[in-house]
Formats: sequence, structure tokens, C-alpha cells
Amino acid sequence: MNPAELLPLPVVLPVSGAVLAPLAARLHRRLPLIVGLVALLAALAVLIYQATRIYRGDGRILTYFFSNERPVHGQSLGIAFVADPFGITFALLVAGIGSLLLLSALSELGHLGPRELGGLACLMQLLLAALIGAGLTGDSVNLFVWFEVAALASYGLTGFFLERPIALEAAFKNLVLTSMAGFAVFTAAAMLYATSGALNLGQLQRAGPGTPPRAQLVAIALLVAGFATKAGLMPFHAWLPDAHTPVPGAVSALFSALMVGLGVLALARYGLLVFAHVHALLHLLTALGVVSAVLGALLALVQDDLKRLLAWDTVSQTGVLVAGFASRTADGVTGGVLHLVSHGLFKALLFLCAGAVVHATGVTHLRDMGGLARTRPLLAAGFTVGCLAIAGVPPLNGYASLGLIHEGLDDQPVVLVLAVAAQIVTIAALGRAAYLGFYRRRSEPYEHLEPSRLGMRISLTVLGAGCLASGVLAPQIVSQAAGPAAALLLHPESYASAALSAAGGRVPASGVHFAYWEPKTLLLSVGELVAGIALMVTVLRVPSASRPLQWLRRAHTGSVNDYAAYAAAGFVIAAGALLA
Amino acid sequence: MIVGNYLAAAVLFCLGLACVLGRRNLIKIVMGLSLMESSTYLLLVSLAYRNKATAPVLADRPGHTSERDLVHGNVADPVLQNFCITAVVIGVAVTAVFLTVVVRVAQHYRSTDADDIRELRG
Amino acid sequence: MTGRRPDRCRAPDAGHDRRGPRPDERWHRPWLVAVLAGATLAVLAVAAFGLPHGTGPLPQLARHAMRIALPRWGTTEAVSEVVYGSRGWDTFGETFLLLAAVVAVSLLARGREARSEYVGEASAGRTEQGEADPDEGVDSEESEAREAEHGEEETAQSAAEDADDDPLGEPGPERAVGMTVLVRVGARVAAPILTVAAVYLAAWGYTPGGGFPAGAALAGVAVLLYAALGHRAVRTVVRPSVLEPLELLGAAAIVALGVVGMIRRSAFGENWLPLAPQQTIRAGGTLQLFSAAELIEVATGLTIAIFALLGMRHDWTPDEDDDSASPALETHEGQS
Repeated sequence: MNPAELLPLPVVLPVSGAVLAPLAARLHRRLPLIVGLVALLAALAVLIYQATRIYRGDGRILTYFFSNERPVHGQSLGIAFVADPFGITFALLVAGIGSLLLLSALSELGHLGPRELGGLACLMQLLLAALIGAGLTGDSVNLFVWFEVAALASYGLTGFFLERPIALEAAFKNLVLTSMAGFAVFTAAAMLYATSGALNLGQLQRAGPGTPPRAQLVAIALLVAGFATKAGLMPFHAWLPDAHTPVPGAVSALFSALMVGLGVLALARYGLLVFAHVHALLHLLTALGVVSAVLGALLALVQDDLKRLLAWDTVSQTGVLVAGFASRTADGVTGGVLHLVSHGLFKALLFLCAGAVVHATGVTHLRDMGGLARTRPLLAAGFTVGCLAIAGVPPLNGYASLGLIHEGLDDQPVVLVLAVAAQIVTIAALGRAAYLGFYRRRSEPYEHLEPSRLGMRISLTVLGAGCLASGVLAPQIVSQAAGPAAALLLHPESYASAALSAAGGRVPASGVHFAYWEPKTLLLSVGELVAGIALMVTVLRVPSASRPLQWLRRAHTGSVNDYAAYAAAGFVIAAGALLA
Repeated sequence: MIVGNYLAAAVLFCLGLACVLGRRNLIKIVMGLSLMESSTYLLLVSLAYRNKATAPVLADRPGHTSERDLVHGNVADPVLQNFCITAVVIGVAVTAVFLTVVVRVAQHYRSTDADDIRELRG
Repeated sequence: MTGRRPDRCRAPDAGHDRRGPRPDERWHRPWLVAVLAGATLAVLAVAAFGLPHGTGPLPQLARHAMRIALPRWGTTEAVSEVVYGSRGWDTFGETFLLLAAVVAVSLLARGREARSEYVGEASAGRTEQGEADPDEGVDSEESEAREAEHGEEETAQSAAEDADDDPLGEPGPERAVGMTVLVRVGARVAAPILTVAAVYLAAWGYTPGGGFPAGAALAGVAVLLYAALGHRAVRTVVRPSVLEPLELLGAAAIVALGVVGMIRRSAFGENWLPLAPQQTIRAGGTLQLFSAAELIEVATGLTIAIFALLGMRHDWTPDEDDDSASPALETHEGQS
């Protein structure tokens, strides 16, 4: 069958798995795992088949119109799935990592009751299906619908462990902020339709050369507010550390590695493809990105709860990603696409390890942890590989992706300096976590220390191997996948013509090459590493070194009213920046 | 003057936002979000309106209009009305989950004051 | 036994100090709220003045939807055509959004199930519960609620079938399971009429209506019967083990409809049924089937969500005086 005709399947398959999961759970508790794995692996197979057409040297963009509602005179009422290299990369990432996370979740938590397992499997698969749908779609309202499906699945997953009060508290904060984001995106899509008559992203791109009218600028500000909330950009980020802490390990991996990618993907599509001519938008995104990168890393440095530390690091990495995309240079955008993949891999690995520690021992705070390198070598090894990947140590994947992003920020020196500073602080924060959690000696043995299950061990090994492989093969990934993705993102007209034609389109050629041992990249990486380790040792030896950061901690009061106020202030600032 | 509707929707949205920002009782925060939802419904239906238009339904037509008159004539926008149905369903779904979470939070923290529910901070 | 029960059960009025407003009645940073709400209003007003005034022509997409409603989909209702036809993929997403919400509600409202092994998060949870409210004890409202839950499960037989058995003028709340004979007869008359009206809304698809409002109306009928007749009368039908498979069946039917379209007509969601004459019950082809499946899914889903909310217990927050750390293994009457 023509690969374009199979485009609904990567979404329909996990959805069917989700529908079957609660029924399967009633029959036998292992059944939801099997059903879910089959569905996700089948979706992955379809995506790989399509990727062979998209990633080839003369790659194609596959387009599919639902209900056969094709465009008429450049106007499309029907919903288009436009599988471009960027979208298919994200979809592959989601399907691949998603199947590993489903495996580890349902095997690690396999002894829970049938209702809990059925619900967990159903919601995880709906979330994964929504993320795949959002990656492939080319329609503004359809993107919103998948955003909302992902949001609702995340509400149920956040409150999963009902015996933890903080889980319910986090679910409430997630609900308030993400609902506000949903309203913002929806209003924006309606306003864009009313002012330009377009729902298809390609049609929106064509409708608006020149300065958009004020109503459209407010709509863009609403879009930024909405998707930045999902992505975790400051100042819309405050729900994220709370929501990623009390959830099961695989679910927090799903949130941090994949769900924030939805926000970043949407911002990249709107910023680079649809509204590329609105320069204020890219400056705004860069500013939000670097602020998130720096402040997120600083807050990660002073955390005591292991998963909260990793969640603050997610805020920081999202900032780096958005800064890379908003730089609008070939290197920067390529680096952004590659870092989306790298971040997915190493963040999932880190969160799985952290979740396994909490699940096995019941200990959540770093001050009570330690000594796990001896008793749980696989978890320690996984965590260490993740830390090295974030630190940008070759040959792991962080080296290539961060190197490309830093190259792309070359012509914005202030931004580059801040990004490098954020990286140094990140290295210190993660190093501190690894030392306190795993390598430091613990005086007494743990009260409980459950063994890891086979599914979890398989997932950790595959993810670790993935980090290594995507690092070693980075030049090939850049030339085959990330480069073409960036090339298309920087040629909005090619995307628009593909999105409005049932025959699809062609991917423009990409000129980005990643030279592994280029001296500048290597030197920068080594310099960051040295500075990061120095900072880490300072923070560990001198406890009062982190006192200046207490004001940042106190700004996150924990009150949902304050977090909503930050988000509202962020929207007003974004609107001001765009309307000015 | 449909601009009046748009301004009313904006005022309603900001009233809901004021509830979410300023009220500490959890149920009042949920009500504030409900208000914000309702303002989006008003906005969407007002955006669909055209002056002196009729409903985009081809059955039970008014007066002596034929189907052709309606298809090419002055009707309100069916696409935005589709969005409104979508928004209503989302609103119902989200409010249901919200209320369940509020009950569970109140069971654990024995309070519905947002200032008592601040275990996760910093 | 701690023997502290008299101290910890506070008297009903002890927490309500009448000298000032209660803490959660005061505004939180009112000046900031005013500034932010005002600024947002200003931004949205700027947008409002830029939106179309109703004098402009209809967008091409809307005109296209009107034009193809009859020839391509055979329906006279353009909004239904857009919802279930041309933009049916959005409605597909909607359906699963509602499914996600219903599963989330039933997951959050679940009763406690036995866990066969150690779960680290559970012991972390117990520590956190201790930290969450160290000074507050069980107050009178909560202990009344817990007693009511106990009463529901064990000795439901002792409550009267209908309110007519309670003598007039008795102080205290009504304890009967159902309402008086007037209410019950009224509900029994209204319910079939409302059910028929709801099914009519979905079945006559060539006029405004469709599966969503019809499903909501049916869920309303279920709640009406529950309120009037009591739980014992409806629990044979309104049970998660009956409604959940029905809901999943509705969702599966929607997936199947799209997939059949994909196989037979090479586009997901394309109409694969022959078009019936205009303004008949079968007009619209797969639009009608989609609407009917949506009706089942929405009605059962909303009913599950409402009854899950009603059936929530205090399972997950152990009573202060209850020292057992293991979860309750009893089966709950209303939660099979």
C-alpha cells in the first residue's frame, strides 16, 4: 500500500490498544501489557516504513486528507496529516520510547489491581496516540484536539497514586494551568480562522505575508502562552516540577521526555513555518528560552527531591530546545531537532532510574539516599549514562545536539553565553544528584530494597544503548533526519505547498554537517565540563554556596493562584512584545 | 453590533481569570475556569454570526427560499459552530476530572483553601 | 487504641471564628489580581476590535461545507456534516478525549484494591500523609461522612425503601433510599419521554442535534432515576461492570467505522454507505452511524463519571485512629 495511505494508522493503533486495555485487564493482569506493546510496536513499524520514504536522500513529504476532503483552490476544509521529516522524527521518538516506557510501567507496577493497571495502560496509550497525532498533523484545530487529549490523559496519570497527597495537589495544579493553556490555544485557533479563513497550517502560512493585523498578533500571543505552558517554558512552567514528581517513574519519563516535546513542536511549527515573517515572535521565543534554560538549571542545583530535580532540568532543557529552534539558523534548528531526540532518550533513562529508586526503596529525598551504586549497579549505570549524556560527553548523544545548538547561536553572543552558563549549571546539578543519590556511602542499609523487574531492566538497557548509538551515529542522523527536518522548517513555502496538495511534496536539500572532532565544539564541551564539575564540588563542599538562590525557591510558593498569576503575566508580556 | 459580544466574552474571560488568580477556595477556582470556558463559547458563536443571517440548516427553510439560496446566501458559519460543540465537550470532561481531584485533595489535606495545599514548593 | 477520640473530634462550631472572614474567603493578593485581569482585558479588547464585524463574506471553507452537504454526504444539516463528516477526525479525537476523561475519573475515584507486593510510592505516601496535616484531626464532618460510608455498605437494608415510610415531622435528615410516591411516579413518567427525545435527537440526523447532546440527555435520565428511585433500584443496570464495556464498545465502533472507510474507500472517515433519500432517518450514510456510536459512548461515559464521583469513599486516607497499614480488602456494594 502507498505509505501515505497508512498515515492514520500510527494514531489509530495505540487508540485501539487503549480501548482494549481496560477489557483486557479484567481477563488477566498481564494482558494490557501485551495488548499495548503490540499496538505500539505495530504503530512503530508503520512509521518506520513511512520514514524510509521521507528520510531518503530525495525525501518526500507524505500528505493525507481525512474523509477524502481535499483542498479546493488552495483552501482546505479537511484535516491534513503532513508527514514531514520533523513530524516523523517526533512520531518515531514517541512510538519507540513509548513502547519501552509502557513495558517498564506495566512490568514494574504489574502487581497492582486490575482496575489500576487497565486505567494506566489506557491513559498511557491515549497520551502516546495524541502525541503521535500532534506530530503528524497539519491543521491548527486538530493540533489543539490532540493537545487536549494529551492533557486529559496527563490529568488522570498525575493523580495515579491516590495515597500520596502531593499527587493530588500536583494534579490540581496541572489541571488549572493546562486548562488555561487549552482555552488560550483554542481561542487563538478560532481567531486565526476568523481573520484569515484558514485552518490548515499551510493555508495559514500563505494567508499572511506582511505584518499581521492586531487580532492575529493577540492570537499568536495566546498560542505562545498555551504551548509554552505545555512545554514548560518560563513563566508558564510552574506546574511542571510539581506534576512530574509524584507520578510513577515511567509516567514521569513520558511527561518529561515526550509530552513537553508537544509544546516545543507546536511552537517550532508556528514560529518557523506559519508565522516566520513575524520577527518579534522569534525574539520572544529566544528570550523565554534562555531565561528558562538558566533559571531552570539554577533551581535544579538546589533541589532535594530527586525527581523534582530532574523536572527542573526538563524546564531548562526545554528552554535550550526553544532557543535552538528560534535561532532560525540551519545549525540551530538541526541541533534543536537532534536535541529533541537526545533529550527524549536521556531524560527517559534518568526518570526511569529515579522512578525505580523510589519504587524499590520508598525514599524520595536525596539526603536519605546513597550507596545505590553498590546494591543496584544497573540503575546506577543507567543514571550515570544519562548524566554523561546531558553533560555532553562524547560519544554520547548530548555532545552532538548541544554542539549544534551552540554553533547555531554563534551570531547571538549574549544568548550563547547564557546557554553555555545554563549548561555548566546543569552539569553541576546532575553531577550532584548522581553523587548524592548513588555514589555516596550510606551508613545504614535501606529498609526495603525491591529487585527490578525484567521489563524495567530491558527498558533501561535499550535506552542506554540508544543514547550511545544516537551519539556515535550522530553525523548520519544529522545528514539523513535532522538536517532535512531543519531544511523544511526553514522553507515554509515548501511545507505549505505540501500541506495543500494530496500528492505531498519534496524535502529541500540540507547543507548541515556535523563534524565530530571540530576543535571549537570539543573545546567548548571540555570547558563546560570542567566548569560544571568545579561548580558541583563547590556546592557539595560549601552548603551555603546556594544561599543566593533561595529567593528563586521562595518565588515558587506552591500556591496555585501564584502560578496562575505567573502564567497570566507571561501572556501579557508576550502580547506586549508582539503588539509593540 | 457584534463587537459588543466580543467585549462581553473578553470581560467574562477576565472575570473567570480573576477568580482563578484571587480566590483561594478550590471550588471557586473551578468555577472561575468554568467562566473562562463559557466566554470561549460566546466568542465562537459570535464569530460565526453574519448580519441578518439564518441558520446553516437546509431543512425547514424559512419563507420561499430554495436550497440553492441558502447554500450560496447568507448563513452563519457552520465550521465555528463545530468548534463550539468541541469546546463544550472538552469543558464537561475537564470539569468532571476537576471535581474528582478537588474531592480527593480535600480528603487528604482536610481543607479546601489553596494556601493549605502547598506541600510542593521551591 | 489511643483513647484520644474525645479530644480530636472537634465540636461543630469550633473552627468557625466569627470575628472575621474565613481564610479562604479573603482575596489572594487583590492588587495583583486587579492589575493582571485588567491588563488581560486590555489585550483582549484590542483583539476584539480587530475581529470581523459580521459584515464580511463567509469564509471559503464554510461556503464549501454548505455546498457539499447534500451532494456528498446527503444531509441537510451542514453542522452535522462538518462534525461527523468533513472534520470527523477532530470528532474522533473528541471521543477519545471524553474516554480519557471518563477513565481518569474512574481511576481517581477508585476504591482500594489489594496490592500483592511492596510499592515504594505507597510507603512514601504514608510519610507524606503524616506531614500533610500533622495538627488537624478528624473533624465532625469527616467522621459523619465515614459513618455514612459504613452505613451504605453493611446495613443498607435498614433504610426505608421510600420516603413515605418516614413519619411526618421527624427531625433530622431523611434516611430513605428513594423519594416520595409523587416524585417516583413523576420520574417514571418523565424518563421514557426524555429517553425517546434523546434518541430522536441523535436519530433524525438531518436536523440539528447529534450524538453529543443526545448522550448528555440520556445521562441526565439515568441521574433522574437514581435521584428519584434510589440506588438499589438502578444498580442492576448502572454499574461499572455493565457500563464500561458498553462505553468501550461505542469507542471501538467509532474506530471500526473509520477503518472500514480506510479499507473500502482509501480514506479514514470517508462515507462508505450508499446515500439514502434526503431527510429520512438513514440520510447521511456513515454520519448517522458515527452519531449513534457517539451517543452510546457519551451517555455511558457521562453516567460512569457521575456515579464514580458519587461513589467515592475515604479509602485512601486512613482514619486517624485506625492503625492498620494494609488496604481494605472488603468488596464494596456499589462498586462491583
